[in-house]
Amino acid sequence: MTALPPLAERAGTAGATAPAIRIEHLSRSFGPVRALEDVSFDVTRGEVTALLGENGAGKSTLLKILAGLQPPSGGSVTAFGDAVDSYDPNTMLTRYGIAIVPQELSLLPDRSVAKNILAGIEPGNRLFPSRRRMIERAVELLGELDLRVDPDAPVRTLDLATQQLVVVARSIARDCRVLILDEPTAMLTPAESDRLFALMATLKAKGTTMVYVSHRMPEVFQLADRIEVLRDGRHVASWRREEVTPEQAVAAMVGRELGRFTSRAELSPAATAADGRRAAPALRVSGLSGRRHHGVDLEVRPGEILGIAGLPDSGRVELLHNLFGGDKGTGGTVELLGAPYENRSTIASVDRRLGFVPGERRAQGLLTTMSVAENVGVLTVKALTRAGLVRRSAFEKNAATLAQGFRVKTASMDQPITNLSGGNQQKAMLARWIAIDPAVLILDEPTRGVDVGAKAEIYEQLFALADRGVAIICSSSDLPELLTVTDRIAVMAEGRVVDVVPTRAATEESIMTAATGAVTHPATA
Amino acid sequence: MTTATAPTRSASFDPRKLLRAREAGVFAALVLLFVLGVVLSPSFVQPGNLLSVGQQVAQIGIMAVGATFVIINGEIDLSVGSIYALSAITTGMAIAAGTPWPLAIGIGVVVGAVAGLLNGLAVVLLGVPSFIVTLGSLSIFRGAALLISDGAPISLSSEQPGVAEFTLIGQGRLFGVVPMQLIIFAAIAAIGIILLSRSRLGFNTYAVGGNQESARLVGIHVKRVKLTAFVLSGVTAGIAGVLGLSFLSYVQGVTGTGLELTVISAVIIGGAALFGGSGTMWGTIIGVVFIGLLQNILNINGISSFWQTVVTGLVIVAAVAADTWQRKRKTRA
Repeated sequence: MTALPPLAERAGTAGATAPAIRIEHLSRSFGPVRALEDVSFDVTRGEVTALLGENGAGKSTLLKILAGLQPPSGGSVTAFGDAVDSYDPNTMLTRYGIAIVPQELSLLPDRSVAKNILAGIEPGNRLFPSRRRMIERAVELLGELDLRVDPDAPVRTLDLATQQLVVVARSIARDCRVLILDEPTAMLTPAESDRLFALMATLKAKGTTMVYVSHRMPEVFQLADRIEVLRDGRHVASWRREEVTPEQAVAAMVGRELGRFTSRAELSPAATAADGRRAAPALRVSGLSGRRHHGVDLEVRPGEILGIAGLPDSGRVELLHNLFGGDKGTGGTVELLGAPYENRSTIASVDRRLGFVPGERRAQGLLTTMSVAENVGVLTVKALTRAGLVRRSAFEKNAATLAQGFRVKTASMDQPITNLSGGNQQKAMLARWIAIDPAVLILDEPTRGVDVGAKAEIYEQLFALADRGVAIICSSSDLPELLTVTDRIAVMAEGRVVDVVPTRAATEESIMTAATGAVTHPATA
Repeated sequence: MTTATAPTRSASFDPRKLLRAREAGVFAALVLLFVLGVVLSPSFVQPGNLLSVGQQVAQIGIMAVGATFVIINGEIDLSVGSIYALSAITTGMAIAAGTPWPLAIGIGVVVGAVAGLLNGLAVVLLGVPSFIVTLGSLSIFRGAALLISDGAPISLSSEQPGVAEFTLIGQGRLFGVVPMQLIIFAAIAAIGIILLSRSRLGFNTYAVGGNQESARLVGIHVKRVKLTAFVLSGVTAGIAGVLGLSFLSYVQGVTGTGLELTVISAVIIGGAALFGGSGTMWGTIIGVVFIGLLQNILNINGISSFWQTVVTGLVIVAAVAADTWQRKRKTRA
């Protein structure tokens, strides 16, 4: 192997007209599973290429190959005319100029922004880098990118969105020429997303090529020049943006027409709301306060789906944890099925048939080292214990029934839960709560990181649960989702419920207006 | 991929699963070691020699049963060597003071349980990492053992009433063949296997060790599960200490120093991950036997005990390296 000339020189010679990345016949197998099969396409220089696909379509595998985290089983990748012959992250970045902004940011939380951006490439002496020159270099770089971030601030003090921008800056500092963004807006508010999009525009103007992965069609159609679609490991469609509509793109992803979901209002016109009003509330919350929420009043009736909207820092998530007993509250009362529920704890909630599917699936939902059966059946263990021992066959039978009820797709119930796709993991998380015959089910981001097909199935299941009389509270940052699945929507801003509206009367705009505090009138729920 | 179908057979009765299990690798290594032992020295396979290995690993094995619960919880108990000494000394002093020997045994075991409970309470209520808590209690319990014995060794005299019966537990052999200690280890291991793989406590242990927050949010008593693990670890260390006293009729404050490392090594060689959430009791038993056989083979081939220490260390690193390599290969396959 001969040493390659530096990147800048190569760009001027052989690769002058070559695409930024050329992927040819790329395949990747995991045992018998073919995650990627004969995929070929080009990423054109200076453009934004959107990569679409459901969970399990092969996007992550493709990204991992491009980032050098795993080699392909077959086929080749060519970057600016150079065939990639060594797949490891450092080579990909320094020799081929390909960098990835992963979903899980890998920053050093206690070090400053400048140190994070320049870690490993500190200016000056290797062992004793010059602090002054580091700050200078960081300021210069942040300036070029139009980012107003204090280079001295420890990364821990920054919000998630800003941390992401720091990761981008870190990649740029290493002369990356192709930047891969893996669902960068999944955790961002619209305002934060706009900052990222502005940065992307700056980068594009400077000639950086980008590959953008997202589930969100409006973003894709706002940002992308090209759209590539993967399905079941194969490359199934390739368009310039202006050649295609969002509906066509989604149809290519799922292999069928599935542009929009049937909403709750369409399914049961007028009936739900009226019926609901007659029944006594399953859960009544008054003056509830706790971390980042104050004086919250809410009611949800059997068979009703109440949405909770609000920006990520609106106190939504903290409210749900307080309700369920995961966090301690500071005041207010909760009434569950007509009886006061004080001293809430996760254990008491399970006993009282109050369920909670948390938003951070990996950190708060999955029993990560256990099987699908054990994850789904965890709430049956207590009932199936005789003299301290779990009745194994009854347990497995129950778990299989619960999983089937939610159409969890798995090779076997003995599989580790982490082998399933995001959508099937989420279905397993929902299925486990059916075991306690929940009276009230609290959901946080029920379809985060879930593909379109699984999303539709989850919605159907939620409707079925509501029809059986379960009261559901569904918090989500996905407004179309709230408008689809709920009967009423409570909007939170800065820890308070600022509005409660019937879903049929709400629009994305009206909810956003309330959530951003443009209008504030007292809650009426 | 198929939609979840009919319930699968119970995991522990599926022979194919046994082959795929993580402990399969350690078991293969154990078989290799056995073959090596046979090749190197003909006296190795004598029943007398193998039974003496059983005698030697019994105390370590009993402690490892408790330690497995702690480690699968994602915690660690460094104080078991000190608890071993503390229990042995309290039992020894009780017998020397004329306490009936069954009661004296009870005292030693309860001392172990209380020591484990204190460890657990500090971890669960104060939120101090168990590494730190038990690093402290390793020193505290050792100090307590030295204090109450005033640093003097305790020797049980066979003329004293009850001592003969008491020492029979550690020194006796069933039908004159099978060491009693080995039988006690087998019994405790059997309880450990059932508790870990069949009981609700076992289920919750894996759940908490794999993801504490997820376990808490499905209503599992995380604190209770952890507390129980530390108590089990204390109890098994206490039982082992009492057995040690019974075997040697002798104990002093420094007895059992460093035992915790051998115990943890056995659990780790057996395939449990220090992060928690994975490992099995069978794996631990294999790990214990592995360490016992290894030392025995080095012994009968006349290799110095200093080398034994070195080899044991190498085996630990090699075992974990092999496991890591295997898992990496699996994800790449």
